[in-house]
Amino acid sequence: MTAFKQHPMVPQTTHDEQARQDFVSALRGHLSGRLMPGAYQIYAARVEPAFRAKHGRAPKDEHEVRQVMTQDPYYQFWSAMQRRSQELLWESVIDPTERQLPALIDRARKLGQRGAAKRRGRLRLDPQLTVPKYHTAADIHLQPGGYHTDFTADDVAAGAIYDKGINLYMGGALGEENNLMGDTLLAYVREKHPDLKPRSILDVGCAIGNGTVVWARAFPKARVHGIDVGAPVLRYAHARAQALGVAIDFSQQNAEHTEFADGSFDLVVSHIVLHETSKSALTRVLAECRRLLKPGGLMLHLEIPRGRTDIEKFMYNWESYNNNETFSRYMTDLDLKAEAVKAGFAADAVLVDEFTPKLDVAQMNYSEHFFWKILAAFNR
Amino acid sequence: MFDDPAVDQLYAAYVTLATELSVAFERIDTLERLLETQSGLSREAIRNYQPDELVSAERQRQRIELAERLLRPFRDFREQRIARANRLSDTSPSD
Repeated sequence: MTAFKQHPMVPQTTHDEQARQDFVSALRGHLSGRLMPGAYQIYAARVEPAFRAKHGRAPKDEHEVRQVMTQDPYYQFWSAMQRRSQELLWESVIDPTERQLPALIDRARKLGQRGAAKRRGRLRLDPQLTVPKYHTAADIHLQPGGYHTDFTADDVAAGAIYDKGINLYMGGALGEENNLMGDTLLAYVREKHPDLKPRSILDVGCAIGNGTVVWARAFPKARVHGIDVGAPVLRYAHARAQALGVAIDFSQQNAEHTEFADGSFDLVVSHIVLHETSKSALTRVLAECRRLLKPGGLMLHLEIPRGRTDIEKFMYNWESYNNNETFSRYMTDLDLKAEAVKAGFAADAVLVDEFTPKLDVAQMNYSEHFFWKILAAFNR
Repeated sequence: MFDDPAVDQLYAAYVTLATELSVAFERIDTLERLLETQSGLSREAIRNYQPDELVSAERQRQRIELAERLLRPFRDFREQRIARANRLSDTSPSD
């Protein structure tokens, strides 16, 4: 378990609060490392043979797998544990956040005013922005209020809760600054596009900026922007970046239609954002990304895989049915390359790639065969 | 996840209980370590502690009391079932 870096915006924990978070993190690791693989074993040893015996064939798709697996006691048990662990995750980070919220808000204000190194990162919020329905309809991954809810004036709670919460989610695998996803996408660029030297970078759906900071550090001469629809996560992101000494401009914008001029960026990235939007929003986001790219600019979206086999698809979609990742199951059969072409990218400039990071089973919640999915497209 | 929502509730409570137990264990561990470094009470002494007869008797009373409290709902359930069975076999007062 990697220790979490206690930067100034992270709430302090009491002895017992830390013990609670540590148990939740260990529980998540145990569930994915020791219990989750059993669902696949049960499927192979009992559920699929029983289906074959009854129907004379294997299940024909993920939905038939769902019908039988959701009746299996082992799956039900793991599923109940997985759901409760997610709820406990939020409960364990919310208590310390609530306890210190006034101090955190004050600290965010002060950090926001102080310049970072030579160049001050800016924060621009838009109270008139309409938060899209795919954020307001349900608490995404059960986080109360999601990314966008202000519980009080100048709120940062959603950011503080998300920062520690996502670290517990993968048993510490995201790294001490939750930089795994940014690092993964950067590693992909270093391997596949080693000559890339972007001078302007946009991170869409940046939330607390954990991915954005990775790009700002990797390309210190670049102008780096992060956008999100959520005010509290942006306030937190800005304060966090200032605390870490990284200059990033954060603004409250909807990636479906931003205020940036055509061709504003060499590089547009996102980290596990697309699956939290909607069918129509995805189309608009990709088209907007293309509009924002300079000629020859690169778009990269890091995503969670949806599974290759029907049992894998079923397991990956646990989050969609049980963790308020409502849209993600619609991405299972979505042709991301076709979507990018629909958005105006040339077909030979689009690639849906796979990239394997170094994770152990205890950190892979839904399959032992984990890889990241990357939608890459050049604006030619 | 289960057909009977009561089972979901039971698992949810069980996992919460395990979490709080883990917190309590860490607290005990911290107490022991601080006692050792700050007041000389060694963990060895804790490990080797043998309660005398008075303490043993008190602890036995506490165990029985905990068991009784934990299992009280089952005793109540048993009494209700017996009472219901007796009511069904009673002749009606109107007879």
